[in-house]
Amino acid sequence: MAALLLVAVVGLPLLLKDDGTAKGLAQILLTYTLSSITALLGFFTLWLGCGSLAREVEDCQIQMVAVKPIARWQVWFGKWLGILALNALLLAISGAAVFSMLMLRAGRLPAAQREILRSEVLVARGSARPPMKDLNDQIRRAIQGRLASVHRELSTEDKIAIQNQVMAAVIATNEGVGQMETHEWKFDLGGAASAARNQPMQLRVKFHTSSYNEEATYDTQWLIGPPDSPRSREVDQTLPQDSFQEFDIPSDEISDDGTLTVSFRNPNALPVQFSMEDGIEVLYRETSFGVNFCRGLGVILCWLGFMAAIGLAAGSFLSFPVAAFTSLGVLAMAMFSNTLKSVVENGTIMGWDSAESKWGHSPIDLFVVPLFKAALTVVNLATTFSPVDYLSSGRSITWLDLGLAIAQIVLLLGGVFGILGVILFTRRELAASQTQS
Amino acid sequence: MASESNGQPIVSVKGLTKVFKDFWGRPKARAVDNVDFEVRRGEVFGLLGPNGSGKSTTVKMLLGLLYPTRGHIEVFGHSPRHVKTKSLIGYLPEESYLYRFLDSRETLDFFGNLFDLPPGQLKKRNEQLLEMVGLNQVRTRVVGEFSKGMQRRIGLAQALINDPDLVILDEPTAGLDPIGCREVKDLILALARRGKTVILSSHLLSDVEDVCNRVVIYYGGKIQAMGTLKELLAKPDAVRITTPPLPRETMEKVLRIIRQDIADAKIEIDNPTQNLESYFLEVVRKAKASLAETSGATSGSKVAAYLRGEAEAAPVSEQLLERLTVASAKAPELAPAPEPAEKVDVAKLQSLSRASEPPPTPAPAPAKPQEPPPADLSKANEKLSSLLGGKPGD
Repeated sequence: MAALLLVAVVGLPLLLKDDGTAKGLAQILLTYTLSSITALLGFFTLWLGCGSLAREVEDCQIQMVAVKPIARWQVWFGKWLGILALNALLLAISGAAVFSMLMLRAGRLPAAQREILRSEVLVARGSARPPMKDLNDQIRRAIQGRLASVHRELSTEDKIAIQNQVMAAVIATNEGVGQMETHEWKFDLGGAASAARNQPMQLRVKFHTSSYNEEATYDTQWLIGPPDSPRSREVDQTLPQDSFQEFDIPSDEISDDGTLTVSFRNPNALPVQFSMEDGIEVLYRETSFGVNFCRGLGVILCWLGFMAAIGLAAGSFLSFPVAAFTSLGVLAMAMFSNTLKSVVENGTIMGWDSAESKWGHSPIDLFVVPLFKAALTVVNLATTFSPVDYLSSGRSITWLDLGLAIAQIVLLLGGVFGILGVILFTRRELAASQTQS
Repeated sequence: MASESNGQPIVSVKGLTKVFKDFWGRPKARAVDNVDFEVRRGEVFGLLGPNGSGKSTTVKMLLGLLYPTRGHIEVFGHSPRHVKTKSLIGYLPEESYLYRFLDSRETLDFFGNLFDLPPGQLKKRNEQLLEMVGLNQVRTRVVGEFSKGMQRRIGLAQALINDPDLVILDEPTAGLDPIGCREVKDLILALARRGKTVILSSHLLSDVEDVCNRVVIYYGGKIQAMGTLKELLAKPDAVRITTPPLPRETMEKVLRIIRQDIADAKIEIDNPTQNLESYFLEVVRKAKASLAETSGATSGSKVAAYLRGEAEAAPVSEQLLERLTVASAKAPELAPAPEPAEKVDVAKLQSLSRASEPPPTPAPAPAKPQEPPPADLSKANEKLSSLLGGKPGD
């Protein structure tokens, strides 16, 4: 384990090739090393969690503890705390090593790139998005109108198809910016406005067009500041579609109430569409990279605590090999969350039926789809947080994010497995397997 | 033998039954079947039985490691799963289930901390216990490298770290040399003298006989016999009288008197032998006294002070004498000369002899001439000669 961590923490940073830019170096190095560390420690934690209890029950060492004046829940919780403490130590050492290796590699960059690294990359950037519009009423009215205009009997599948199309049309109307049209967004920076003023600021955008040409780029014209303000500034960019792009914008146009107005003009022949969820956001400097890095490691530690709870819960009532495979199965469920999402969205576990040009259906959907929906809800609670992505792209992981991670991942999800594990462990006859063998 | 108990039940078992089931819930084995017994404070209680008779299952149910299928168990008035009660219990399992990568000191520290012992007291007890079990010289060696006997010793030490009121020992002398066995038995007796209660499960019947007040014998999950050793072991149809070597004439007189009531074939005469354990301990003691070196295990020192309490241990021989003589009489020291007949416990003698029968009168004239075969007498005479030191017989 130590050897593998050493390879991940020291070997990888020395071997990875970057693109010569500060951003590229930080992204590649942080992504690979933190992902490797998370995977290694995650697997190690699951293994240790399963073995810690299951092996001690099989080897009967737990009997020596169980006959002492210590409650079963204390034994279980103590083991969880011990695994967490070990992980915290390993994560701290690994994190410090990764940071050191990043600085070491950065030393080989040109001076200009080092300055960019210091001022733009190794920072923690907060994010502000425009408020989401509530389109439910609009969509409902549009669907009603559309259905009323059809003067024939519609099957259930046809109704669903019409609803999906109407919904997509309404959303596209609100998200799209037609040819030569202008769209305005207001970003409320709140309490961060004063700290963000006159600091580096970026706009992060992703848009779609109706063109399937992936190589094409599009002109974008941005106006930063209120349109009627003489101090508003124009920023022109040529950007590709369907990928996140960042560019610098002036930060001195934040109004006194903490609002930043950004307008977009579409000079292209095609309409462009900015998703309401993640189509546009403003990134501003919030805190230092060190604090952000520690918060990111804190979120990773929350994942590890959750995995320890899964392993210990499995080890509370299963033998070691069975507990290990069960735990890995639970982990695999998280890795296949896209599959879960697809099943839930399509309402069936069957695939697309090309012959009939529709999604297949099966009787087991009645059971599988709700189960997958519940599993997806649980998985999303844990995977909502992406500390590796955020750190590698200089995004801020706020204290609120860390608090939510602790509450959702450790207390809620970990707590469920913890309660289950304690109940099973308390009810278990610790000498049963020994006596029967 | 351990001191008498004060009658207060520490462990109470009523209608205890344990049926092991398979994965589908079908009964597989009835390990304990409707068992009732009590263990009183200050008692040394023995659990005996062949392999698979239910002894270990009973012990594990007393400790809360297994749950009864039916019946009721109380330990110190609480369920075996009551957490606080466990602070009064010490347990030595049959096998060593200690953590292999901890050394002796760490092992005792770990288990001592589970009892929330103050650090100073814990350190002191650790020293005393390691001294007592003879593991002082190897305190930094990990338990995984210990021999079986050494593992039993450290297991015994951890069972006593909390000065428990109830000590449950499962095969405590297994793997120990005779010196170690003796020390364990002395320890059990020391604990009993302090009013501690000991439950002992063992296959070594001589060990059980040396220390237990009461025993229960299991077979097939049921109690087949229960009672004090005196009740269970006394042979009411025989009497043994042991004396120092007697002059030949006295011996012949005694035999003549006995033969008036008992047929010659039923009389056994031989030299009493000491048991092998006593002989072994004596040899080792002498060797130690002459400072003979050994590379093997050394014996421990006396029982740890906090376990010993105030009273010093009386020698085991005295313990045995106490058991074998009448309880009420403060047994006087054995006088070198035979005691006069008046000092014999007449009541005991009467209970042992056939009091209802009138003393047999010598047959006036046998219907057939009684011809004791000359060979028998000569055999007896030969034996007599050998007992008296090889004097030629008449």
